[in-house]
Amino acid sequence: MTHMEDAQLVQDFLGGNHQAFNKLIGRWQDRIHHFAYRYFANNDDAAEITQKTFIKAYQKLNTLDDAGKFGSWLYRIANNLCLDELKRVGRKRATSLEALKTAPQTETERAADSALMRNEAIVLLHKALLQLPTEQRMVVIMKEYEGLTFREIAEILDESENTVKSRLYYGLRSLKKTFDSWNINKEVFSYD
Amino acid sequence: MTKDKARELFIDYMYGGLDIDTQNQLEAFVQQHPDLKEELDGMMETRQMLQQMPVESPTEQFVMMDPAANKRSFRISLENLWSALKPTSGFGRFGVAVASFVFLFIITGSLTNLNFSMQDGEISLRFGEQPPAQIGYTAAQVELLINQVQAENAELMADFVQAAQEQQEAQFQQTLASFASYLEEQRTSDLELIDFSLANLQETTYNRFVQTDQVLGEIIETVSLNR
Repeated sequence: MTHMEDAQLVQDFLGGNHQAFNKLIGRWQDRIHHFAYRYFANNDDAAEITQKTFIKAYQKLNTLDDAGKFGSWLYRIANNLCLDELKRVGRKRATSLEALKTAPQTETERAADSALMRNEAIVLLHKALLQLPTEQRMVVIMKEYEGLTFREIAEILDESENTVKSRLYYGLRSLKKTFDSWNINKEVFSYD
Repeated sequence: MTKDKARELFIDYMYGGLDIDTQNQLEAFVQQHPDLKEELDGMMETRQMLQQMPVESPTEQFVMMDPAANKRSFRISLENLWSALKPTSGFGRFGVAVASFVFLFIITGSLTNLNFSMQDGEISLRFGEQPPAQIGYTAAQVELLINQVQAENAELMADFVQAAQEQQEAQFQQTLASFASYLEEQRTSDLELIDFSLANLQETTYNRFVQTDQVLGEIIETVSLNR
């Protein structure tokens, strides 16, 4: 992350340059969208969360103490919005995941075509990620997909780095167990 | 190094957070413990699999509109409109003034219910609601009308009563005539019936006499023969 450029754009915006905020959007929209997409596996939900994130950031940017931490601050907003959304629709999603606990193995076995198997495996990857406890999922997403450092993740979540690492460890272990129970392994993805 | 310590280092090891010495120590320790090696390999494989998951990018770029810019652009638009419409010549200014006065007069009139009327050679200008116009007749006219209506009603009633009486008389006479006719027909019918009955009685009586004579004749003849 180029903290200096973000910090400069934040200062410009606070100084009255409205276009500076649109530049910040241009720099961060994809990352926030991808981050939200990992949560919901849905483009519309991700777009909505992204939009809300930037609206909130626009309204609250003057409360940001350290302009150099704009990225972490933005992720924190997005993360809180994702959690709110998960609380709102949590029951519905939990119900759909319950049905998956028994379905994957037989579906995977039935799939004869390798491409189909690969697509199914990708879907199941996503489902497995959604099955993780929220705290572990957040860390896995931020580390594996967003490439944030442990310090940045700790700042966003307001936790210690050791806590972040611990959650990542248990998250990866839990995913491994889920993949094993669904008969998904890395060979599935080498059938291209 | 213990197994727990080794597990604590797994994350840093996988994400390149260990120095060379610690990394070598961990790798050597893991090689000696197949369960740890299996666990570490499993987590690394999990990471590789997670990287296979695609992601969709946003379909459109967000842009935050500047509220202040919107207000400024609205004000500038109004100023441009006014400068375009503003008359430059004296005649133009006079026309705008007249039009403004007429417009103001119409608006004021519509708001205050202005009424402009001409009646009996007088021009009247009223504001507010108009008094209701006199509609209907005077008391004398009403009395005259009532009298006329009463007279017409009395005349109509007299004609009606007379017509009803005439009709009743005609109906009574007709009824009497009908009744008389009925009585006459009934009397004639009775007489005919009596006459018919008498004729029957006469014939029956005659027949009995004849039969009696025959029987007497037969009796006499029988008695005579027996002697």
